[in-house]
Amino acid sequence: MTSSANRACAPKSIAILNSQSPFKELAKEALDVALMFGSFEQAVSLFFSGEGVRQLVAGQQLDSLGMKNFLATFAALKFYDIENIYVCQHSLTVRSLSNNFHIDFVQLLNQAEFSAKLHAHQIIYRF
Amino acid sequence: MAKNKLAVLVTSKPTSNTTHTAIKAIEGAIATNNIEVIGVFFYHDGVCCANQQMQIPSDEFQPLVHWQQLHLTHHIPLHLCITAAEKRGLTDEPSTCNIAPEFTVSGLGQLVELTSQADRVLHL
Repeated sequence: MTSSANRACAPKSIAILNSQSPFKELAKEALDVALMFGSFEQAVSLFFSGEGVRQLVAGQQLDSLGMKNFLATFAALKFYDIENIYVCQHSLTVRSLSNNFHIDFVQLLNQAEFSAKLHAHQIIYRF
Repeated sequence: MAKNKLAVLVTSKPTSNTTHTAIKAIEGAIATNNIEVIGVFFYHDGVCCANQQMQIPSDEFQPLVHWQQLHLTHHIPLHLCITAAEKRGLTDEPSTCNIAPEFTVSGLGQLVELTSQADRVLHL
């Protein structure tokens, strides 16, 4: 009985996989989830692939589309000890995007590394 | 033996096939008798599942009826992120409340709690 209680309460590694462009509502709500896990001191890592890589690209102007510039909030990640941030190099390459990001600590991974790192987490939420 | 604990995160629209899949997965989990569904958390467009005023044509799948049944028959807690819900026209103001009573008004902290308690998490 105690073993199952311990198993359930043991800290889990959580991955938040971002696959949508910053122009989608989901992108902002995914960031809110990451910050909430961070504020509860859970081990959370952020992954960006597909259109999601656009969330990291510097110099975007969401306000020009009438959106709140939630990308500015990414700067707060380090205060929540969220420093494992991974981006899929292939997704950047096929979109002709450079690795000029608006936050630090971003780690570029090839597809195999990205997949291996993602699957090293116990829980994956995909947004 | 202790049952495996399953938590479910629903971010799909109520009329989406993935919401249907979530409901079927939960019903399947209950039927196995060795999985305990510790709660469902509704976030993003998934919050619209709680809207009592949503009118889906009667010959189509009725997600709200199924969620209500899961709660009333199997006592599955249904947690609603109120921030995401209010953004989509839901309200728990007594005079204008349109949230089905089977849903518990909640916040993202509840998702953290469900995640830490669960052995497995399903996100649709």
